[in-house]
Amino acid sequence: MSALVELEGVSKSFGGEGWFDRTKPVQALRGVDMRIARGEALGVVGESGSGKSTLGRVALGLLEPNAGQVRFDGASVGGASPAHWRALRRRMQIVFQDPFGSLDPRRRVGVQIADGLAIHDIVPAAARAAKVAELLGLVGLPPEHGDRFPHEFSGGQRQRIGIARALATGPDFLVADEPVSALDVSIQAQIVGLLAKLRAELGLAMMFVSHDLRVVRRLCDRVQVLYLGRTMEEGPAARVFESPAHPYTRALLAAAPRLDGPRRAKLLLRGDPPSPSSPPSGCVFRTRCAHATAECAAAVPALREISAGHKAACVHLERIPPL
Amino acid sequence: MKRIAFPAAFVAALVLTALAAPLLDLPDPIRQDIANRLAGAMAGSPLGRDEFGRDVLARLIWGARASLGVAFASAALACLVGVTLGLIGGWMRGLGEILTLRLVDIVLCFPPILLALLVVTLLGPGAGTLILVLAVLYAPGFARLTYGEVLSVRATDYVEAVRALGASTPRILTRTVLPNIAGPILVQFSLAVAAAVVVESGLSFLGLGVVPPTPSWGLMIRGGRTTMAQAPLLLLWPCLALTLTILAMNLLCDALRDAVDPRARAGGGRRRIVDRVLPGLFPAPRPAAPGLSISHLSVEIDTPKGTIRPVDDVSLSVASGETLAVVGESGSGKTLTALATMGLLDPSVRVVAGQVLFEGRDLLTLDERDLRALRGKRIAMIFQDPMTALNPVMRVGDQIVEAIRAHSAAGARAATDRALELFRRVGIADPEKRLRVYPHEMSGGMRQRAMIAMALANNPVLLVADEPTTALDATVQAQILDLLADLRRDTGAALIFITHSLAVVAEIADQVVVMYAGQIVESGPVAAVFATPRHPYTAALLAASPDSNDPSAGIPGTVPALHALPPGCRFAPRCAHATDACATPPVLEVLEDGRESRCVRRREIFG
Repeated sequence: MSALVELEGVSKSFGGEGWFDRTKPVQALRGVDMRIARGEALGVVGESGSGKSTLGRVALGLLEPNAGQVRFDGASVGGASPAHWRALRRRMQIVFQDPFGSLDPRRRVGVQIADGLAIHDIVPAAARAAKVAELLGLVGLPPEHGDRFPHEFSGGQRQRIGIARALATGPDFLVADEPVSALDVSIQAQIVGLLAKLRAELGLAMMFVSHDLRVVRRLCDRVQVLYLGRTMEEGPAARVFESPAHPYTRALLAAAPRLDGPRRAKLLLRGDPPSPSSPPSGCVFRTRCAHATAECAAAVPALREISAGHKAACVHLERIPPL
Repeated sequence: MKRIAFPAAFVAALVLTALAAPLLDLPDPIRQDIANRLAGAMAGSPLGRDEFGRDVLARLIWGARASLGVAFASAALACLVGVTLGLIGGWMRGLGEILTLRLVDIVLCFPPILLALLVVTLLGPGAGTLILVLAVLYAPGFARLTYGEVLSVRATDYVEAVRALGASTPRILTRTVLPNIAGPILVQFSLAVAAAVVVESGLSFLGLGVVPPTPSWGLMIRGGRTTMAQAPLLLLWPCLALTLTILAMNLLCDALRDAVDPRARAGGGRRRIVDRVLPGLFPAPRPAAPGLSISHLSVEIDTPKGTIRPVDDVSLSVASGETLAVVGESGSGKTLTALATMGLLDPSVRVVAGQVLFEGRDLLTLDERDLRALRGKRIAMIFQDPMTALNPVMRVGDQIVEAIRAHSAAGARAATDRALELFRRVGIADPEKRLRVYPHEMSGGMRQRAMIAMALANNPVLLVADEPTTALDATVQAQILDLLADLRRDTGAALIFITHSLAVVAEIADQVVVMYAGQIVESGPVAAVFATPRHPYTAALLAASPDSNDPSAGIPGTVPALHALPPGCRFAPRCAHATDACATPPVLEVLEDGRESRCVRRREIFG
């Protein structure tokens, strides 16, 4: 499988750039690599401040990285001309977290779904209504809903509309940024099911950004775990969930509440994540890690391969007992 | 729509009359007739004549042309220039932002009338000069407003969505940004027109605006003033015209703003002030029991679509040292139930039946003073978002000290010591320092700990926690759940835990109540309910949970709207087991093992 989306050593920081802005910049991403093959679903997990949403925006070219390379379909997109970008936009789309904020409240949803068709002139104006009806059908909504305004829909229905809008241009790559975390429990499973179905039918490559490991497990082939803007662990979803190697991944998995009664061996983390504007030296996780030693503060640990495709960034991998 | 009809008709009539002035059969507004100087109403001149014997009605209508023309033209010009500058500044950022904003600031620094006088003196009076002056005066207002609105709109997901679709900047600005900031701009436009009419009149009055003998309202007021003693009505007509025009413009723009917003159209926005019915005046039937019990609680809310009952016949109880989880999706009534236990229901929410018994007293019949004595002392609440529940301009430590001293005679010293002890108890590192910080200086997890510390300040016997971990990260959520479990064990308080997450329920609760569309559908001990659910909704919810063994496609459909509930079982439209029997409303049955279920087909489905 060739890579559709490839990020290499991407860094991104916010703030601290202006003439009068003396605040410390927030370092959202620091030297992150990411690779998504055609038709592959990558789950990017992490807590707030881990940089997972920023990574999605950088992959889509909505944010320009401070350093590093972004390649789409083999070609670098850094410094692409506006015309080139317009052509690329057709092929990459995004589904947002907040179903209430991601639709323009003043325009009918059919018109919003048709936006992509109009911008790229994919379907002649006369045939757009039929295409919108087809897209609505694809996401499980009746075609007459295109004439309504966003406020007339429930959260789950809005999220379906957001997905229909993203699919209008026929993308190969879809970033789903926490698409179910704002939805009711009974609706979450519907949307996850819909995304899984669409991926299978349309052969979409997906980057699924989430803080909910359980959802990622259901939907994704591979997982990448971020903490304070750095990759802690990545690998095939089954491997990472069955035998997490990095102490942070283990803590994250143990912290998730489970249906089958009170938790797990106590693997609670101490304290809160440090501020992304002054991350710890060396391994960023060391301030909360039970295994941390002086060695961890010395240098940023590199990702090391444990088994095929399964990597973790920890100097103590050999020392930490397997689960 | 009705609101827009009257002001729109008035403004339209005004503008049309002014435009049609040459077509109307009016006397010449500048022809003098000294013989009829200051004459009252007479044939052909219903409003009389002015100090030069000119017809007042004709001058009023021709004057509207000058006054309104100048006002609309200058407001439109200011709007065009200001909005363009604001769009550029707000969208481009960087140099464009600095240039437009500073330009606008410089103009704003001049006293407006002084600027007008200066320009008029330099360019000479006349309608053209006036339009220019007024446009320069009002453009900065439009620019600043647009700039601010663009900043907030550009941060929304739907703008980013159109960017992701590859739309060009002009398309984004005209199709997405402008319609969404149109409301405030329309209001600003009405204010600018109204103000321009006034300033035009003022400048004309001073002799710096419209040049006589061209009629304008300002000139008419100027003329009327000199003969105020002999003919006071001459002053009244132009002033009346001025006032009515401004009023109508303001009303029109308000109505327009609502009309262009598709959201405002649906509701209608009628809200009656409801009188609060005091239910249950009889004394408590049971002796004082520890913990809290709610029996047959129903609340109603009047909405534009009719009266809804978001909590319908809910009974539940929680004993000391026990944790009861109330689980349900949005609209299930779980939060309103929790608020009722605190006596914190909004005045628009009416309790129509039921009792909330706590320490032998019905909380629903207590007056505000008694409730306040209980709240924060015997009963405490933990909210979902501690940032909104903490006072942002007060140090966290001071807020806790205040909470302690509100309910006890403790001195400042003792209260501070107690706050320090509480901070240690909830696991805040470096408590002495943290007491002195403001809420925004704490992380989400720490704020929630501070919130819990405040709730514990007076050793409550009942804690109500409304989604206390929903806004937190997974690793922090685990810490807070552990803390709550510890606290309950140590203090023996009863805990009511509102959540939408079944996994969190499994984690923390002893008893669980499952709510759906305002009703309890199932209740019982957590382990038993989760192992063998007795209601299809609970079963479906467990199956739809992401970490169940066989996550299906979720539950089809959506939670029904409370004003359009299905006639029988409320879950029937989404239930895989629904039959004709479900068309009659099921009752909440008490089962042999003390559990409850609201399903007519329970035996057939679950054995």
